[in-house]
Amino acid sequence: MSEKKTFRITRFDPDRDEAPRTETYEIPVDPDWKVLDALNFIKDEIDGSLSHRWSCRMAVCGSCGMMVDGKPTLTCKKALSEYGSEISVEPLANFPVVRDLVVELDGFMEKFESVKPWIIRAKERAVEEGTHRQSQAELEEFKQFSMCINCMLCYSACPVVANEPEFIGPAAIALGHRYNLDSRDEGAHERNEIFRGEGSVFSCSYANECSEVCPKSVDPAAAVNQAKINAVIDWATGFVVTRGKE
Amino acid sequence: MKHLLLRLEPVIWLLFGGGIMVGTMLMTAWIAVVGLGAPMGLVPADALAFERAHALGSSLIGRIVLAALIALPLWKGAHHTRHVFIDMGGADRDALVAPVLYLLAIAGTVLAIAAVVRL
Ligand code: FES
Repeated sequence: MSEKKTFRITRFDPDRDEAPRTETYEIPVDPDWKVLDALNFIKDEIDGSLSHRWSCRMAVCGSCGMMVDGKPTLTCKKALSEYGSEISVEPLANFPVVRDLVVELDGFMEKFESVKPWIIRAKERAVEEGTHRQSQAELEEFKQFSMCINCMLCYSACPVVANEPEFIGPAAIALGHRYNLDSRDEGAHERNEIFRGEGSVFSCSYANECSEVCPKSVDPAAAVNQAKINAVIDWATGFVVTRGKE
Repeated sequence: MKHLLLRLEPVIWLLFGGGIMVGTMLMTAWIAVVGLGAPMGLVPADALAFERAHALGSSLIGRIVLAALIALPLWKGAHHTRHVFIDMGGADRDALVAPVLYLLAIAGTVLAIAAVVRL
């Protein structure tokens, strides 16, 4: 651990600080470290008051997202060697900060819930009727959009989220779209109405930033833009087809 | 107004999408042929002779294509300008700006249709 790197980390203690401040730490780093390893080193060895979220350390739980050198980054996935000798670490942009690098998730969770991310059936199937079967091809239809780990990097990168906080946003739209594409689901019309409502999918101006930063290659921008087309088709068919009770 | 804009969004977005398609695909070919190919002599001179072009443009399909070629990019322009405006921090005034832009697109569409009908 001969190499040293300097970390400029945003700190904020709501009980003491009026505004976020920056603290600098120079630490020895291991060539194999990820960004998260450096943060953990700082917390364990230098300053135990540093707050940041992490859990799985293998790009699965989605809790370690932060702005690293100004870019939304999954810190347990990104190698430290990809950065220079000075690295800035800030909390995810477009979210209220709770403390240091920890952001508030409530608004995001509400958006997630708003798209009804579960299988909706017009009529529940009785247990005796057996399970819903799905072919490999039907699974492939939506599989990519189900790989999201809710890391929120896309919300941090999205210029529309920054300007219009009510925008449902990339991950939640991708999730709703994932259920709309699921052969077992019958709730597409309900979700399309949500997609056309407040914070609509049409707010997206296709900057594609969400897909650029997505660590799981979900391609939320594709989902959002497919969702736009489906929301329009659903709206147009509403004039010709009378739908049953919703 | 905000509510009305939201309700009209599927139509607007459809016209906007049409505008992108027409603008990037047809318009590029159009400009390449009429704006570059013809003056550079790459297109035979009589291919775009007035009678020929007029006959093509005033057929039913010709009229539809011409109307779409003029009107749809106006919607694309209006919608894009609206979003640029929002992105530059004008979200608060969207309810004022958006109707003006879309009214311009509507006016252009009406004019385009009128011109194509009288061809
Ligand atoms: S710690 Fe779980 S995704 Fe990074």
